[in-house]
Amino acid sequence: MRETPLSNCERQFLVQAIAEKKRLDGRQTYDYRNIKITFGTDYGCCIVDLGKTRVLAQISCELVAPKMNRPTEGILFFNLELSQMASPAFEPGRQSELVVKLNRLLERCLRNSKCIDTESLCVVSGEKVWQIRVDLHLLNHDGNIMDAASIAAITALCHFRRPDVSIQGEDVTVYTPEERDPVPLSIHHMPICVSFSFFQQGTYLLVDPSEREERVMDGLLVIAMNKHREICTIQSSGGIMLLKDQVLRCSKIASVKVTEISELIQKALENDKKVRKEGGKFGFAESMPNQRITAYKMEVAPVDTGDIGKKAEDLISNTEPPSEIIPSPVVRAPGTGQIGEGLQNSWGLDENEDGEEAEDQTMEEELQTMDVKVKSVNKEDPIVLSDSEEEDVVVLEPKIMKKEVKVQASSTAASKKKKKKKPAH
Amino acid sequence: MAADMRLAAARKRAPGSLVSQDESKHLVAPGDVITTDTGFMRGHGTYTEDEKLMASVAGEVERVNKLICVRPLKTRFNGEVGDVVVGRITEVQQKRWKVETNSRLDSVLLLSSVNLPGGELRRRSSEDELAMRDYLQEGDLISAEVQSVFADGALSLHTRSLKYGKLGQGVLVQVSPSLVKRRKTHFHNLLCGASIILGNNGYVWIYPTPAQQDEEAGGFFTSTEPVPLCDREVISRLQNCILALSAHKVLLYDTSVLYCYESSLAHQIKDTLKPEVMEEIVMETRQRLVEQEG
Repeated sequence: MRETPLSNCERQFLVQAIAEKKRLDGRQTYDYRNIKITFGTDYGCCIVDLGKTRVLAQISCELVAPKMNRPTEGILFFNLELSQMASPAFEPGRQSELVVKLNRLLERCLRNSKCIDTESLCVVSGEKVWQIRVDLHLLNHDGNIMDAASIAAITALCHFRRPDVSIQGEDVTVYTPEERDPVPLSIHHMPICVSFSFFQQGTYLLVDPSEREERVMDGLLVIAMNKHREICTIQSSGGIMLLKDQVLRCSKIASVKVTEISELIQKALENDKKVRKEGGKFGFAESMPNQRITAYKMEVAPVDTGDIGKKAEDLISNTEPPSEIIPSPVVRAPGTGQIGEGLQNSWGLDENEDGEEAEDQTMEEELQTMDVKVKSVNKEDPIVLSDSEEEDVVVLEPKIMKKEVKVQASSTAASKKKKKKKPAH
Repeated sequence: MAADMRLAAARKRAPGSLVSQDESKHLVAPGDVITTDTGFMRGHGTYTEDEKLMASVAGEVERVNKLICVRPLKTRFNGEVGDVVVGRITEVQQKRWKVETNSRLDSVLLLSSVNLPGGELRRRSSEDELAMRDYLQEGDLISAEVQSVFADGALSLHTRSLKYGKLGQGVLVQVSPSLVKRRKTHFHNLLCGASIILGNNGYVWIYPTPAQQDEEAGGFFTSTEPVPLCDREVISRLQNCILALSAHKVLLYDTSVLYCYESSLAHQIKDTLKPEVMEEIVMETRQRLVEQEG
C-alpha cells in the first residue's frame, strides 16, 4: 500500500522549522533520540529502540562447509527485513530498493570492517566452519533504520555465545550448552553507523532524522565508525553535493556520538551479564513497560531556569498592586450588620471548593436565623454567638446593634480587621 | 500557568432514543453467516461457502429484493461514475497524473480530461505534455469527478467543468468515505461564511467563499490573497464540527454540517475539540435533524 503523501503545508512547515534550527520533537541538531537496548532470554537476541524505531536482532550459528577460496574462515550472513508491521508502505514479497540499500550498507559496515574475527570461527580447516547468521527485523519504522539496525546487530553479536568446540587429534567434539558453557565470539571492535540528513542542498544538517524529517530530506550521509575513531564505511546517497569540510565535520560529530553509543552498549551488556549471573529475571518480559493508565509518565525534560529570577522581578515591578477594597458593612435588616461575610472576596483566591461554598451557604442561613433571634434580646448586652475564641462581638452603639459575627473561623486577620472598623451608617 | 489535563476514558454510548431506528439493524462481522437460504444473489461484501452466504466485511446487511450486500462502515473509497472527489497529486507521468483519493488504487487524471487555458477543444500537443508540471505538481489538491472505472478498480477522473480544478487556500479534513451522503450537489456555499466541498471519498475541503465567481481557465489559477481572521475562524469551527460529526458517525451533508456549526457557536472554537463538548454538539445536531425529518 502506498504511503499517504505528505501535504504541502506539512512539508513547508518542516523545512522552515529546520531552517530555524527547530525539530518537531524538540531535539537539538546533533541530538540522538533515546536509545534503549534490551536482551531476550537466549544469547544473541536483542531489541534496540531508537525513539520509536524498533529493530530486533537474532544471531544463530551452524556448522557448515567453508567457501572454496577461504577454507580457514567462518561465514557471516546478514539479513535485514522490513516487516509489514513497521509501516504500511512495506509490502510482503517485493524487494524494494530500500531493503537492498540497507542490507548492502550493513554488510559493508560489519563484514568489510572485519570487526569479527572469522579465523576464530574455523573448526576444521577446509571442512567445518561456523556460519554466523544475523537476522534483523524492523518492527517499527520511525526514521533512521540504519543506525538502529547497526546498533542491534553489533550488540547482538557481542551478546551471542556459540557452542564450545574441542579438537583432540582427529576428533571434534561440539559441546551442548548444558555440557559446557557457550563461548562468546571474538570481536575486535564495534562499528556503529551514524546518519546525517541534509536539507536545502546541504545548507542544513540533522543527526538521526525521524520519519517525517526523512521524507523531506534532500540527501543522507551515513558514516560507520568505531570508538577508536576509525571509519569503517561511508556512504552518501540522494545526490547532494557536499563540501569537504562538511564531511570532515560530520565525521567529528560521528566520533563523539559513536563513543556515547558504545558506552551505552557496554553498560547494557554488563547489566545483562550481571543479572544473569545473579539469577535475576531477564528477558523481554521484564523489560516491557506496563500499559496501565497509572503508569503513564512523561520523560524528565530539562527546564531552563536561568533567567527565572529576573523574569519574576520584571513581573513584580510591572504589575500593579491589587486594588484595596475596604469592605463596607451591609445592612440587611434593622438591627443587623454584616461585614465581609458573603460579599465579594477581595483576596484574589481562585474558585472556592464546593464544600466551602456549601458551608458558606449553610452558615449564611444560620446567620439569618441568629439575627432574628437576637433582635428580641436586650440590646444593651453584648452577645457572643459563636464558640470561636477569635470572634468578638462588639456593640458599638446602643441604638443600632451591629453584629459582627464572623462564621468562618479560618480568617483571623479578617476578624481582627473588622474589630477596628467603624460602622458606617 | 494552569494547564488542562485529561485522562483517557471510555466514551458512553449515545442514548438510543435520539437515534431513530425502525428495526434493529442487521450488523455482521467478516466471517458471519448472513443466511443459509440459497435463493439470494450475492452483492458486494459477501461470499459463498458451503451453500452459506457469508460476510467479508464488517457492516450492515442491505437487502434489495433478491440482492444481499454488506455495506461496511469503515472502508476505502469505492468510486462510482459521477462521484465528486478531492484528491492529491502523487505523480506526474506521461500524459497523466496519479491522484491519491483514499481508494485501493491511485486514481488517474488524464491530460485530455483537464481544461487547458485557451479553450476546450485544443489538441493536446507535446508542449502541453512537457508543461504538465506547470498546471499540477506533486502535492497539489484537486477536486474532480469520476468519469469511469477501470477494470482493476482504479478511477479515471476529469476536471472538465469550471467548478473542478486545483484547490487553493483552505483546510482538508479526512473522514471515512461511508459518512458522506450521496447528494445532488457536493459543493456548498454555507450561510456561515465559508464554502465546503464534501468529496465522496471522505476528503472534505473547507475554503473561504470566493468574493466573485470569475471565469478562471479551468480552475488552475489559485489566489494567494491573505484570508481575513474572521473567515479563518469560521473555517476552523467548521473543521472541528466535521471532526465531531465523524467521531460520532453522523452522516455528513450540508444540513447536518450547518446545524452542527450553529450548535457549536455556544462554545469557543478550541473547546469544540474536547470530547464532552463534541458529544453535546452532536446530540443537539441529531435532535434537530430528527425534528426536521419528523
